[in-house]
Amino acid sequence: MRSATFISKKILPLVFITSLVCSAIQAQELTTKQLDSAYLTHPFKDRVAAFKKSLSKKFINFQGNDLSLFGALSFNQQTINDKAVAAPINYLYDAVNTNSFKAGYAGGFRIDGIYNEKHRFSLSLAVNRVNAGSKYTNKYTLSPFIEDFTHYKADNQFTTLSIAAHYKKLLPINDMRKYKFYAVFGPSVDYKISQISKEHLINGVNNRVFINGDLGAEFDNKGYYILYAHYKLGANLFQSNVPMQFNRFEIGMSIKAKDLF
Amino acid sequence: MKRIYTILVAVITLTIISCNKETATTQTEVMNSLLTNKNWYLDYSITGTNTKSYVGQSTYFVTYLKDGSTKDSDGLMGTYTVELINNQSQIHVQVKTANGNPLEVVYNIISVGETKLILSKLTTGTPTALYFTNK
Repeated sequence: MRSATFISKKILPLVFITSLVCSAIQAQELTTKQLDSAYLTHPFKDRVAAFKKSLSKKFINFQGNDLSLFGALSFNQQTINDKAVAAPINYLYDAVNTNSFKAGYAGGFRIDGIYNEKHRFSLSLAVNRVNAGSKYTNKYTLSPFIEDFTHYKADNQFTTLSIAAHYKKLLPINDMRKYKFYAVFGPSVDYKISQISKEHLINGVNNRVFINGDLGAEFDNKGYYILYAHYKLGANLFQSNVPMQFNRFEIGMSIKAKDLF
Repeated sequence: MKRIYTILVAVITLTIISCNKETATTQTEVMNSLLTNKNWYLDYSITGTNTKSYVGQSTYFVTYLKDGSTKDSDGLMGTYTVELINNQSQIHVQVKTANGNPLEVVYNIISVGETKLILSKLTTGTPTALYFTNK
């Protein structure tokens, strides 16, 4: 009985520790490819590591901070209320009104992390090429021969720079150690960086900045990649003669930068 | 470091505020672009309650060219400018008649578009509304 206790208390832990050390030593044996890679310079990888290091120094409570690149397909629609435009200009309603979502695309990078060890978040910076369907809320007629028309024609193709901050709520679906599902929400801001047409600027209308409320879902496949679907409902940040509502549905994929480069 | 952040914020703010504002000429430029290089055919003229239709008939037409010149189907040639006076958009036309006499006509622009144009001819009596199409 005494010898059995001695084995379970002394020998077994020793065997366990020895096996662990051996496996660690095994893992440290590098492949030829890894050995070659060790002699090469990795400017992007080093830069990402330095960036992460500087972030972790400044934001002690923010952990993870994984940098990812993403690409997305977007479906866009803008609703335009041109009630305050008085310019004597007519655009035939049927020619400019396309009450539908049109396809565009987006690309950028995002940082995923955890705040205070429990609040998951993502911060992203993206460039969006928007091609939007335009829905005009007001129609006018001038008898006897101009049928429905609008006084205003908004740009429906433009490029925006977008910044978003999202809170990610982990959902208890499936095996959470492998696959993670998140509900995502938060604000984002879009700033038009492309040239704005004269027709869009008429009567003091500008509408360069949109603020959006974002809502969506994300699927994290073992940290290899994230698939996401976001819906963004936007409005002008500043007061405008032509209030616009900007709706966008985005589906995309993000991959960690260190896995790409 | 703080100074760099301050400068960065100031530059971004300036960029947001300063880009692509409407200017005084925006409206006239848009109207000019819709008006020019097309033949505008007269479809209707309405004076008070009197409506005349020219649809399907050989009718009067006028052309406004990008270089500021104008000519019509009556053979009158001259120059024109689109102006915004007291919030009223107008076309000021200066032509010479067959006799060589200068003639200035001012039209109020009621509405101008890609394919439809409505002008109001200013006269001493009841104004005449002129409805044009370019197709």
